[in-house]
Amino acid sequence: MSFIKKFIEAETFSRRNFLLASAYGISGAAAMRMFGPSPIMAAEYNDPTIAWSYRNRTNPYWNEIVSGGEAFVESLGKSKGFLTHLINEGSSEKSLADVKALLAKTNGELALAIDTNDAPNARPVVEACVDAGAYVSTLWNKTDDLHPWDFGDHYVSHMSWSDEGPAEQTARILLEAIGGKGGVVHLGGIASNNPAIERLNGLKNALKDYPDVELLDAQPADWDTQKANQVMQGFITRYGDEISGVHCANDTIGYGVLEALRAEGMDVPIVTYDGNPQAVDLVAEGKILATVFTNPHWGGGITASLAYHAAVGHFKPSEEPHEHREFYGPTIFITPDDALEFKANYLENVPTYDWTDFWGPSNGQIMYK
Amino acid sequence: MTEFVTGGNSPHINTLRNIILKWAPLFVLASLVLLFPIFEWLEDFWRGKDHFYLIDSRFFSIRNASRIAVAATPGLMIAIGVTFIIIMGSIDLSMEGTVSVSAVIFAFVFIALGGTLAGWAWLAIPIALVVGGIMGFINGFIHVMFRVPSFMVSLAMGFVGTGFALVLTGGDRIRVEDELFRSLLTVRWLNFPIMCYVAMLALLVAWFIQSRTTIGRNFYAVGGGEELAIASGLNVSRVRIMGFTLAGIFFALGALMAVGRIGIAETATGNNFMFISITAVVVGGTALWGGIGGVLNTLVGVLIVNVINNGMVVIGLPNWLQDGVLGVLVITAVVLSTNRKTISFVK
Repeated sequence: MSFIKKFIEAETFSRRNFLLASAYGISGAAAMRMFGPSPIMAAEYNDPTIAWSYRNRTNPYWNEIVSGGEAFVESLGKSKGFLTHLINEGSSEKSLADVKALLAKTNGELALAIDTNDAPNARPVVEACVDAGAYVSTLWNKTDDLHPWDFGDHYVSHMSWSDEGPAEQTARILLEAIGGKGGVVHLGGIASNNPAIERLNGLKNALKDYPDVELLDAQPADWDTQKANQVMQGFITRYGDEISGVHCANDTIGYGVLEALRAEGMDVPIVTYDGNPQAVDLVAEGKILATVFTNPHWGGGITASLAYHAAVGHFKPSEEPHEHREFYGPTIFITPDDALEFKANYLENVPTYDWTDFWGPSNGQIMYK
Repeated sequence: MTEFVTGGNSPHINTLRNIILKWAPLFVLASLVLLFPIFEWLEDFWRGKDHFYLIDSRFFSIRNASRIAVAATPGLMIAIGVTFIIIMGSIDLSMEGTVSVSAVIFAFVFIALGGTLAGWAWLAIPIALVVGGIMGFINGFIHVMFRVPSFMVSLAMGFVGTGFALVLTGGDRIRVEDELFRSLLTVRWLNFPIMCYVAMLALLVAWFIQSRTTIGRNFYAVGGGEELAIASGLNVSRVRIMGFTLAGIFFALGALMAVGRIGIAETATGNNFMFISITAVVVGGTALWGGIGGVLNTLVGVLIVNVINNGMVVIGLPNWLQDGVLGVLVITAVVLSTNRKTISFVK
């Protein structure tokens, strides 16, 4: 029956913490802002549980993220199975409930890496972790008013990607390739998706420096190859030879565009996004001019690593500058010159990363508009 | 065009309403083809450019006709398949799953057998058609033997198919790069790629099945009045199972065209075909409760859908408007083709 005893102990402990924290929350919320660290002692743990909370593994992107988390755990000399998986299946409620359950189970001795599924859910998750004395690092989702430095040491870091900058870079590569004049078309993702909006904005930003290039048209292709193929056919009818370059919101769209061009015997430079293996091959063949890789494997590993190393006391988050608490993930540009090298280094062999080089590949502090 | 209302169950075959119904889809298609160039003419007129109506139109050109034809080909195959089912008064919603499974298995077998049509890899084509047929047979069998409504069986089989395709590929795409197979798209006779001629041949076969074979007539018999068909000694269960199997084979043919068009087989190959094909069948004038319509109506319907899709982009209207316009067309077509005097209630 010892597990019941343990559970009750854990529950009482976390309830006590909770009461303390809420009492503190009422009286001292203002004080916290002034004095920084949380009054709950910044406990350092010898062997905290390491957990990753995410959507599910059937999505290739999240599979990469979690494989990075596993690689990090293995680098500590533990087995893959040491990583606890909290799978939210796209539910914020489940995400929060699982975190609370794990906090109770581990008594707060937890290093948690999490994507909270949606931005509003980040605050309750972070507050639950901070109150229980756990260490948490977030990826992708959080609201703009939630900052790690407002929570002392326990909210270790947040990482996200801005697609606007990289999409602007690929646009520049495209615009240079067409000699800075002519017309370009853009095929976007699902119109309401944030990355779709950012990637189109990136193109628009680049176009400001190329007054002789006209954005002929921008239509959503819903991240879909067949849809992209049809939209591109329409563009070819409408603009024909006026199209001197194509800016695609991702690789999948690019495949459809390439086939539409091929059917017409047209040879027009295109750029894509995401760095899928197949797109990298096409870049190597010179059929795609450039794509962007965001290295989800590293992102997943380093998010877990930051939470873990803060939890064991290897570094003190509150002593780090803001750009080490909220930062953009890496982006790697792939062009025909380096495609083969990239493929050998990143796709055929997953590189062994130094999981204590927390900020080396990162991309600067997150900026809010 | 005499086949438009083959086996029609309306007692007033030559009323004005029936004549309008018979020719409305073709009229809509012709109007659309003439409408889009007007927008182009207007646009150039505002810009002050010389533009002679139709002659200078980019939309109304042989190059664009071939683009529309290429875009329409996979959808036409799938819509023909579902036409048979709708004539019987049932519905088949499994096309997305069936297309994905057939496409993926085709690509796997094609690559495994050497990856070129010049070798043994041609066997992948009949194998894909058999796979489609099996999926359709399962649909029909469950529908008939377990008395499950066809829309439920086929919708579920569609999900099973999509899931199965995902298991097979693990989310990867398979590229089919054989020049000979891709000549479906890249080689043109009289401005149109080979795949358009293959589609015409398939349409001819479908038309033959529909109007010159017993099974074709039986589809109309079942759709026109099932009780009557049973009373006449027709084995309706057998007809239904054969119908679903035939539909599955045409779905697989659509899958081959889809792979031929973009050179990639993946779980997403089947995406969007449900909406496009059902829309095309209904807009073409085949009635949802069965007995009326046929594959030639479906050809007109598929062309209407694709002319709208293409024309919207050509005249620069936003993408979301296309779905809206198609939705309105579907409702209009159903309202037009419903004879409210003979239907006592709708559920």
